[in-house]
Amino acid sequence: MHTSTWSDLREVELFLFYEAELADRSAYTDWFGLWTQELLYCVPCNSDEIAPSRKIAIIYDDRPKLEERLYRLGTKFAHSQRPKSLLSRSITNIVLGEDYHPATGGSVTSRFVLAEVRNEEQRFWAGRSQHVLARENGRLLMKEKIVYLLANDLPLSNMTFII
Amino acid sequence: MHSYNTISWHQSTPEIEGMVTPSRVHSRVYTDERIFQLEIERIFGRAWVYVGHHSEVPNPGDFKTRVIGRTPVIMVRGKDRVVRVLVNRCRHRGAQVCETESGNTKVFRCWYHGWIYNIDGSLAEVTSPAAYETPLDPQDMGLSAVPRVDHYRGFVFGSLTSTGEDLVTHLGGAAPMIDLLCDASPTGQIFVDGGSHKTVFNANWKLVGMDGYHPNVLHASVVAAWSRNPDGGLGSTHRESPFFDEAATRTRDFGHGHVMLDFRDHRIKHYDSLTAYLRKIAGGEQYIANMHAKYGESRARLLISLAGDAHLGTFPNMQLIHNQVRIITPISAGKTEVMMTAVRLDGVSDALNTERFRQQESFYGPSGAGSPDDAEIFERVQRGLVAEVNPWVEISRGMGRQKVDVDGSIVGLITDEVTQRGIMRYWKQLMTVA
Repeated sequence: MHTSTWSDLREVELFLFYEAELADRSAYTDWFGLWTQELLYCVPCNSDEIAPSRKIAIIYDDRPKLEERLYRLGTKFAHSQRPKSLLSRSITNIVLGEDYHPATGGSVTSRFVLAEVRNEEQRFWAGRSQHVLARENGRLLMKEKIVYLLANDLPLSNMTFII
Repeated sequence: MHSYNTISWHQSTPEIEGMVTPSRVHSRVYTDERIFQLEIERIFGRAWVYVGHHSEVPNPGDFKTRVIGRTPVIMVRGKDRVVRVLVNRCRHRGAQVCETESGNTKVFRCWYHGWIYNIDGSLAEVTSPAAYETPLDPQDMGLSAVPRVDHYRGFVFGSLTSTGEDLVTHLGGAAPMIDLLCDASPTGQIFVDGGSHKTVFNANWKLVGMDGYHPNVLHASVVAAWSRNPDGGLGSTHRESPFFDEAATRTRDFGHGHVMLDFRDHRIKHYDSLTAYLRKIAGGEQYIANMHAKYGESRARLLISLAGDAHLGTFPNMQLIHNQVRIITPISAGKTEVMMTAVRLDGVSDALNTERFRQQESFYGPSGAGSPDDAEIFERVQRGLVAEVNPWVEISRGMGRQKVDVDGSIVGLITDEVTQRGIMRYWKQLMTVA
């Protein structure tokens, strides 16, 4: 059992801030580079429950699906991101899980508030994120990112940007 | 020429008559709030409106709240197992008696003054009843039942008027197309309970329509992705593009505003390739065998090839597309909600249903590769339609080559606007009856 230190937390914070920056800039290729080979990018639907063989999610991507998502967004024909959403998110309340170890990684929870401007409108998105980070070759990477949207049971507009 | 600046509640019918011709539609049909109000009265206040599916309320006390036009309703299964559709409004002072979208309950309780209703709608109890000189009759003062409720294979429809044609007549040639989804299950049973993608966009509800002309253009990004991986997402259900006029796909108009993109003849040509894909999924081989045992060779081949994708719209608010049952809810002339509920097939492996869920996520919902682009274009249309320099929307494509098929439906090639014409012809019929 490792007792997390301030520097463990600081490293994770800086990682999450960097991830947020790439997501805000819709820098698809760089953001995709933050993932491990095996991955899960998930946004549950209707509630926070994740039951992939029982119900749909808003997003339930393994690597091939996420790669295809980002490829499509990178074409000239992804109209719901042409023009791209202007995004600004704040990542807060970052807590390292008990399983977190700086040598191997582990789970991290955080909260976010995201402002989006598109089509002459400003919208707000908010929720809780759970990352599972893994250290590979000295670098922190994402193995899992689950976004528990506050509004996951409301009718949602276009959420084709990186959440 | 009519002047379209003078529409009012009482003189609207003649103007509406002139706003829809066989080949074009006036912009205001999509943008005018007064016309929208008339739609709520004359379409959603009268027609058979889809409410939900029996499988959404499997047990006594299970309920879902929905709307019929503007009217909040509760679809609830009684102790007698009958599925009722009750108006969600206390008979005393009108508060809603059910505030959650789904759940299980023994009673519906109004928390304003404490009136309590049984799940069959009858009034069970009021606070301090002695003040009523004549005791309140439990039936007369029960929650109002939607005047007409009926179902087809568990698809529950309600009508807010007590007279009119029955549901079977209303569905007509569309009913056997609903079978195409239900019978994708080797038991003929589906569960409409696989979660719901809920979406909203700033455009008119009729723009959702059913259109076979747009996919190669609007969804070019998805077509590009499929060309890299034919088994990715919904790509696995398509072999060869179905969206060219050379394809065997058809547009179809069954009357009553029910329309279809008919993939049957196209998909069955690719039966071997589609079953090869199914065999890669755990339980796929068994599924193919069970389907043949239940439906026989010829019907099974069709049902397996189609994979439940009826691609049917029943007017005004239900669509069966791929693995989903959609409810289209008009909010205003310029705002619409679409709920896409995933279907689970009974009698198939978890792996097969799981695959179908992932396919839905790939294209549909707020983060899918398809729906948001559709919604984006609907919003662009809504903004464009404000221009009335030349206010006509053109829906004449393929008028000269459409035919009446043996089943009585009007059929055209896949890019023809048979579906738009079918919807608008019936829309006009309903909207011009005072």
